[in-house]
Amino acid sequence: MKPRLLLLLCCLVLPGSAWSADAPPLPPGVMKADGTPAPALRLNSIDGKPYDLSGSRGHWVFVHFWASWCGPCKREMPTIQRMITRLQPGQIEFVMVNTAETEDQVFTFLAAVAPDVTPLMDTQGLVTEQWQPRGLPASFLVDPQGRIRYQALGGREWDTAPYLDFLRHIEAE
Amino acid sequence: MLHRLPLLLAGLLWVGTALTRAESPPPSVESDGLYMFVRLNTPDQMAAFYEARGFPRSAVDRLRQTCFVMAHVENRGGKVIWLELKNWHFLTTQGEVRHLDLSYWKHIWDEIGLPQANRSTFGWTQLPGERDLQPGEPVGGNVILPATDGPFTLQADFLTGEDRRAGMIRARFENLRCAKDKPAP
Repeated sequence: MKPRLLLLLCCLVLPGSAWSADAPPLPPGVMKADGTPAPALRLNSIDGKPYDLSGSRGHWVFVHFWASWCGPCKREMPTIQRMITRLQPGQIEFVMVNTAETEDQVFTFLAAVAPDVTPLMDTQGLVTEQWQPRGLPASFLVDPQGRIRYQALGGREWDTAPYLDFLRHIEAE
Repeated sequence: MLHRLPLLLAGLLWVGTALTRAESPPPSVESDGLYMFVRLNTPDQMAAFYEARGFPRSAVDRLRQTCFVMAHVENRGGKVIWLELKNWHFLTTQGEVRHLDLSYWKHIWDEIGLPQANRSTFGWTQLPGERDLQPGEPVGGNVILPATDGPFTLQADFLTGEDRRAGMIRARFENLRCAKDKPAP
């Protein structure tokens, strides 16, 4: 009987492990994704350093698409910079992808709103299109196995408690 | 001193009128969880936007010949709201005007050889043709019409619910006009 009970308990616990009962509620505007593998993301940073998302297995990655002309991006970017400073270093990797702009446009924009952010440059906008965001800005949370697990709808106040609690929780999963 | 008072009052009145005009909110609708506003931008405003993003003159000239309706739609309710541009009707006294969709612009951009980066930016500045707006989700962008002189009405219908069967919300904006550039001084 005991082995059966153990098996039953395992079955009850496993389905809930992705978002357990003691987890904070999903913050406003964040919805679960279906866990499909994240599209390829290989780009150079504004400093010319190459980046490949496939090398980031084993930890969560926050992938964010933005452009300087987009009003909600302008409001959201400083909250992302503050969020990064409030989370423990190394908790989550932050990947900021600029969509189809020049280095001058990106540099001017970030200097004003988020000087510590180093973006990747999707100069032709083709990587952004592969990810099919619902609009700009868009944020995806990629799990340690490289699957898209959450998506944020539009600009969010990432430096506020609901979002910080949520990110700390998924990182500790 | 007294003779200066009317001048002062006139000055204050003028400033007040100018501020009111500059800050007057765009027409908006809020109904059954849907919030929406529209703003009509002038050719000069749109040209300045795209020129600043490196669009070539040939592309900007084509955009100048059109009418830009900037729309913001937000789901403030608890059920899915379907944004579908096929259910938006731009009605003039002469009949309905169809918006110029991305397939129309692809043809134009192919013709003038618009660079890929500009095409990407242009695409992201347009309102999507179809979107299931989740509770709390905003979306904004342009809908481009052929330039028209007279007033028109925008009647935008939104189906609701995951399966589009939870009813319809109608937003109606009357007496809209394509914005014109101010004449050069």
